[in-house]
Amino acid sequence: MYDQFETPEPDEAVKLALRRIEESTAHGEGSDAAGLEFNEVVVNMGPQHPSTHGVLRLVVTLDGELVKDVIPVIGYLHRCKEKLAERRTYFQYIPIVDRTEYLASINCEWGYVMTVEKLAGIRPTRRAEFIRVITGELMRIASHLVAVGTFTADLSPLGTAMVFYMFRDREQILDLMEELTGARMMFNYYRFGGVRYDLPDGWVEKCREFLEMFPAKIKEYEALVDTNAVFLQRCQGKGVITQQDVVDYGITGPNARASGIELDLRRSRPYSVYPELDFEVCVEQHGDIFDRYRVRMDEMRESLKIIEQCLDMLPKGPVQLGSLRAPYVITPPPGSAYVGQENPRGEYGTYIESDGSRYPYRLKYRDPCFCNLQLFPKLLSGNKIADAVAISGSIDLVLGGIDR
Amino acid sequence: MSERIKAVRYPKLEHFSEPNVITTTADFVFSWARSHSVFPFTYGLACCAIEMLSSGFARFDVARYGMEVFRPTPRQCDLMIVAGTLNEKMAPVLKRLYDQMSEPKWVISMGACATSGGPFYDGYNVVNGVDKVVPVDVYIPGCPPRPEALFQGLLELQGKIQQHKFVPEKPAAFEPAPAAGAGPATADEA
Amino acid sequence: MGLVVGSNPMSMDALAALLVERFAGDLDDVRIQEPDTIVARCAREKLKDVAARLKADPEVGYETLNFVAGVDHGTSFESIYHVYSWKTNTWVELHVELPRAEPEVDTVCDIWPAADWHERESWDMVGIKYLGHPDLRRILLKDDFIGHPLRKDYVDLAENHPHV
Repeated sequence: MYDQFETPEPDEAVKLALRRIEESTAHGEGSDAAGLEFNEVVVNMGPQHPSTHGVLRLVVTLDGELVKDVIPVIGYLHRCKEKLAERRTYFQYIPIVDRTEYLASINCEWGYVMTVEKLAGIRPTRRAEFIRVITGELMRIASHLVAVGTFTADLSPLGTAMVFYMFRDREQILDLMEELTGARMMFNYYRFGGVRYDLPDGWVEKCREFLEMFPAKIKEYEALVDTNAVFLQRCQGKGVITQQDVVDYGITGPNARASGIELDLRRSRPYSVYPELDFEVCVEQHGDIFDRYRVRMDEMRESLKIIEQCLDMLPKGPVQLGSLRAPYVITPPPGSAYVGQENPRGEYGTYIESDGSRYPYRLKYRDPCFCNLQLFPKLLSGNKIADAVAISGSIDLVLGGIDR
Repeated sequence: MSERIKAVRYPKLEHFSEPNVITTTADFVFSWARSHSVFPFTYGLACCAIEMLSSGFARFDVARYGMEVFRPTPRQCDLMIVAGTLNEKMAPVLKRLYDQMSEPKWVISMGACATSGGPFYDGYNVVNGVDKVVPVDVYIPGCPPRPEALFQGLLELQGKIQQHKFVPEKPAAFEPAPAAGAGPATADEA
Repeated sequence: MGLVVGSNPMSMDALAALLVERFAGDLDDVRIQEPDTIVARCAREKLKDVAARLKADPEVGYETLNFVAGVDHGTSFESIYHVYSWKTNTWVELHVELPRAEPEVDTVCDIWPAADWHERESWDMVGIKYLGHPDLRRILLKDDFIGHPLRKDYVDLAENHPHV
């Protein structure tokens, strides 16, 4: 296939980086005030890297330790999901949508199922709506645990114990979800018009036990890093996302909320039963790494509040629309719909065009990480390489969603 | 688990006053040591990588098998756990990283996608199975496989490592070069 | 700055009427899709002008691009722009139809910077060319991939599968 001892030809991304170096030196930017020449090196933070959180490739132009330019190359996990949608029925596609943002897969299912329900004009049952909110918020907590845990693991490789404690508590959430749905990660739980299984006996009590136990754990995590001088110095003031960036690039989710913008789809475009729930939108002002971390920690607390309210308000009733039991073939009328949903990473939605048949005609994902990643060249340039790693960890990328 | 391993009686402290010598083969000792101190390579591509991470942390502790040293560079590893879907863009990278590992090396294909393409088998960009690019020793089915399933695969691999021969097999029979009178044509080919 | 969501809330009918009035002739077939999206069509020659005016409008500025989707309709292509207005907290879905033989349209990268990667993806998957794009190359597929997979007439080629 290829010779392992041969240096490969530079591919498009590397060629682009080299071209940009040439252009900048041609325009006289190649030396500093003292007349010393810059010596720019193109380094590949290749698709397999411990700090890129997945198969992301960053072609980095370095001047010493300073990052001059970053060209992200994606597509190493492109699994042809949009084409597969045209060959699977709407119901067969639910497990595939699960695998988009695999850390919070139930939220991805929710975005897809809501769009199909809008297309087909189906309203889910009320009990199912509450169960959807409970599971969605549980997985939001689980996803933030992984996000913050791996971010602190980046700062010093497994030096902070955070990631171990966070995964330990994530297992408790996955236990609850496993008892409910049968799976630890890819749930395949939501159905058009409801959810697959009702809550088993004793599940509500176990959930309440978790809600009682968890706030102390959040305090434990904060005690580990919040006052740590090294953590603060590495995180405060770095990687600032301005409000203009949020508007220009369509940044949503905790990354936007850390910049002082109160954008939360659960509030601004409420869906499901969120209008009846009382929770705060967590906003911080500076937009740096530390604020993004704080927004995620606060959101975990808000999610606990939401789950508690839902458990108190849980109505009795069916969890599925009777008419939509098997066989699960739905044929929405021709048309198109897009519903955006508040994923732990931002606005996640699927735009579906239907031509009246059992298969979608076109399915397009609006993925929050894809939009957030566009900001990388601007965000990472001018920082040292260690800061670049910290910034990319704080943006919380999941390559499954970027590459689809 | 190999029968020979089960038959070993490990010396206890009170036995150290008596003569205690174990005679065995180099194969046995080195395989035993290798199988209980495998350095896995974190080649997590997709969702299975998260289950691989979970198996490394507190609840499903992979350190009890001696495999908690997940190294990010292939130069320091002997086991590559391919966890996730392989696609055409990533395949040359996989081959390159496999080549960078030093012998002896093993590959575990974790998950349905790495085994045979998984739910994305009919994608235009998906390689149906990692074994089209690198030789695989253990296949672990599941989507994603539970950490316990990963452990079963690791234990199977331990059994396989214990059958590994320390001394490589005899090289193929030596073929002498053709006679000297054959001329410059064969000198070019030689 | 204090960017606020929904500082100028309007009812959907009032918004639709305002858009019809401001973009008379340029935006066709303005429909309301409940609860908060306006769907409209636009000719491809007028896209750049309409986009600039949509963004710059002082009352209902559609300043953020959500996504750009390329669709193959068999006899034609379509490029869909989904944009968001902070002031009214509404979305506009702009459909631009392109002829089958010449699927080209002006880029909107200079108007909405987020369009950069979305248009690259549309080019990669569907083959719609965005004229004036600073760096139109493949984003998700490998550089030497042949064809545009999300077209309806795409046939899986053996050259795209060296590892089989």
